[in-house]
Amino acid sequence: MSAQPGTSTEVKWQKVLYERQPFPDNYVDQRFLEELRKNVHARKYRFWAVVFESGVVVQQLCSVCVFVVIWWYMDEGLLAPHWLLGTGLASSLIGYILFDLIDGGEGRRKSGRTRWADLKSALVFITFTYGFSPILKTLTESVSTDTIYAMSVFMLLGHLVFFDYGANAAIVSSTLSLNMAIFASVCLASRLPRSLHAFIMVTFAIQIFALWPMLQKKLKAHTPCSYVGVTLLFAFSALGGLLSISLVGAVLFALLLVAISCLCPFYLIRLQLFKENIHGPWDEAEIKEDLSRFLN
Amino acid sequence: MVSFGDPGMVLKAFFPTCCAAADSGLLVGRWVPEQSSAVVLAVVHFPFIPSQVKEFLAQVQQTSQVGVAVLGTWCHRRQEPEDNLGHFLEGLSAIFSHEPWLQLCREKGSTFWSCKATRWQGSTSPGAPSEDQVMIVFYDQRKVLLSQLHPPAILPDQETGDAAAGAVGLAAVFHTVARSEVLFRSDRFDEGPVRLSHWQSDGVEASILVELAKWASGPICLLLASLLSLVSAVSACWLFKLWPLPFIWSKLSTCEQLRYRLEQLTLIFSPQKAENPSQRMRKANMCVSVLLDVALGLTLLSWLHGKGRIEQLADALVPVADRVAEELQHLLQWLMGAPAGLKMNRALDQVLGRFFLYHIHLWISYIHLMSPFIERIVWHVGLSACLGLTVSLSILSDIIALLTFHIYCFYVYGARLYCLKICGLSSLWRLFRGKKWNVLRQRVDSCSYDLDQLFIGTLLFTILVFLLPTTALYYLVFTLLRLLVITVQGLIHLLVDLINSLPLYALGLRLCRPYRLAAGVKFRVLEQEAGRPLRLLMQINPLSYGRVVHTYRLPRYGCHPTHSWGSLCRKLFFGELIYPWRQREDKQD
Repeated sequence: MSAQPGTSTEVKWQKVLYERQPFPDNYVDQRFLEELRKNVHARKYRFWAVVFESGVVVQQLCSVCVFVVIWWYMDEGLLAPHWLLGTGLASSLIGYILFDLIDGGEGRRKSGRTRWADLKSALVFITFTYGFSPILKTLTESVSTDTIYAMSVFMLLGHLVFFDYGANAAIVSSTLSLNMAIFASVCLASRLPRSLHAFIMVTFAIQIFALWPMLQKKLKAHTPCSYVGVTLLFAFSALGGLLSISLVGAVLFALLLVAISCLCPFYLIRLQLFKENIHGPWDEAEIKEDLSRFLN
Repeated sequence: MVSFGDPGMVLKAFFPTCCAAADSGLLVGRWVPEQSSAVVLAVVHFPFIPSQVKEFLAQVQQTSQVGVAVLGTWCHRRQEPEDNLGHFLEGLSAIFSHEPWLQLCREKGSTFWSCKATRWQGSTSPGAPSEDQVMIVFYDQRKVLLSQLHPPAILPDQETGDAAAGAVGLAAVFHTVARSEVLFRSDRFDEGPVRLSHWQSDGVEASILVELAKWASGPICLLLASLLSLVSAVSACWLFKLWPLPFIWSKLSTCEQLRYRLEQLTLIFSPQKAENPSQRMRKANMCVSVLLDVALGLTLLSWLHGKGRIEQLADALVPVADRVAEELQHLLQWLMGAPAGLKMNRALDQVLGRFFLYHIHLWISYIHLMSPFIERIVWHVGLSACLGLTVSLSILSDIIALLTFHIYCFYVYGARLYCLKICGLSSLWRLFRGKKWNVLRQRVDSCSYDLDQLFIGTLLFTILVFLLPTTALYYLVFTLLRLLVITVQGLIHLLVDLINSLPLYALGLRLCRPYRLAAGVKFRVLEQEAGRPLRLLMQINPLSYGRVVHTYRLPRYGCHPTHSWGSLCRKLFFGELIYPWRQREDKQD
């Protein structure tokens, strides 16, 4: 501390505090910024890969759209419930067979889930929904229709927000997302004219919100080409359904899909150019070693 | 004001006002060295024989356990100064040696007092007596004798401060006067070997009635006590301890009140004498409260039995119960519609409404089945008033409980249903968010549920959410009704408790003889002149009414509101059953 910095230039400065040096504590020399690094963890994105990944969002939007369209048809009496039940059962069966065929039964062996358990779950779904459908029918009789609509919109938006799109974030909760979708479907089903309608609507909600995303995930992992095809097909069918109800809605929905699948990836890649993430010795210490073995 | 608690400074002579006019003689009293005060109890007149005086004092000392001694001389100059008397009085100090020797003298015309306190030992020059400064405090001997100082239990070895020391000094004075009661027993007409002047009663008034009562009270007490012990033995019989009976007894306020009354009477007629003043006071309080209670009860009885009021009452009772049931029916029908424009679930509303309507129907049939017997029941209940007003009030409370049994049932059903919904909703809300309650760690953890669990949970959650308002409304209405009944019963119990626990005798004593219950004393300056002793008058401060009630309140029976308002509201919100006063009516039918 006593010596002047000018008189002791031959003494080499060291970045340690445990040795007595002729420099003030906050002194740094020119070598300080040599260790600066930029964009260490930045990833290079390719446009089509990002578009492919955005398929999950498009699929979920389309699911909600298809659900709402089907409900509208049922409410208007344009769609016979038997027909929906038949289609739903047939597609569920096909999906169930596909689910095992895609990875050759490997996922089933890993999870150790038997077909008996699947059958039991299906029976529980159907029995409970069928048993409760008269209650569901009269549940919201005295509540205003607008309240029900507002509640359903809120719940479906919540479903989209909390859905597990594959991102690693705190907000993601697949349980909450599924529960909100079921709540919305129960609310909407209670507006339908008969209890059979309500039963079929809730069954359909389980198929489209719980079972369909599971099949999609498997398709995406094992056969990416067919996944693209299925996504496109699904998107166009949702658009077609919406078009039959309202032209404006269909146009807006198409614009939304295009924006999510094409514009957003493009914008993301453009914004990568402006990324300036600096790293250096001032960063917090990071523990590189895997400590998870100490946890158990 | 005089600082009372500094010992050693000024000698305090407590002098009874009744002795101010006494003839000259010897001062008899007790010397309290810790307070340096002399408590004069009496004056011994001339002529006397010193050995007789000594013998008499030893006798008093033995019976009263108070160190009574000759403290000095008293000289009352009525005529011209008598020098020979003065010398004679001085000579007495050689016979009755006491340290210090007081010489109290009242001049002619009663306004001039002089006092000397002489010490032979401890003075600077041996042989020459030293004199202390003296303060004369007058006290009313009768009032101090009869009064009881509060708080009573102060140990003499407590020396915590000036105030405590002052209180101890006062307690010593009061104690001394109270213990020397033997000294005052002789009255004006007694001719003993020693002639004394002190407070005296005007002789014992002899009355044949009083003597007879005194004479008869012992055997009567004994007889009643044995009768009461017989009654309590019967009530403790094993037949009354078979399983459901003790539970029912504990729920009926009449039984509680009767048990309490039995305890009271046993205590009053117990043949043992009360040991200390507080026990004596408790006994007196109990006696007065029982007497007042019975007097009020008899008044009620005479009112009831005059002009056929019992028949009127019995005739009115059934229509009142009918009316209540009818009002409840109207309320239920209102609830089954759209009460206050609320959106209720119609199906559940109808089911609940019909269930409760059927209940009321059952209740009305029960009342009508009972109606022929009601007059006889009321007549017998009216007889119970001769046991006291409190007993009949307790019976009234029990009858109200019985007549509103349907309200209680509704409340229980509503609360159970509501509690079920609230519990279910709170746990399903956790499931809805993908959480669960970890019992071991007492916290909410995240949990991964199966698809079917999630589905059923959410389905039930939705149903419960939409059904909650209906249940909550029923619960609210019936809880309000129940609270109304509880309030009425609580008021009756408050009245009963008031009669049971108010210390009426102590209050009467405070009203008529304020000096009997002393909280402390105050001093009034009579004369303050240079060269003459300070003369003070000690007056007794009576205890305040609030303290009287607080000190002598009789113990209550039964349990009392244990809820705070916060916990009560919490219980109401979560639908737990409340019993703000007591748990009753569980098994009455």
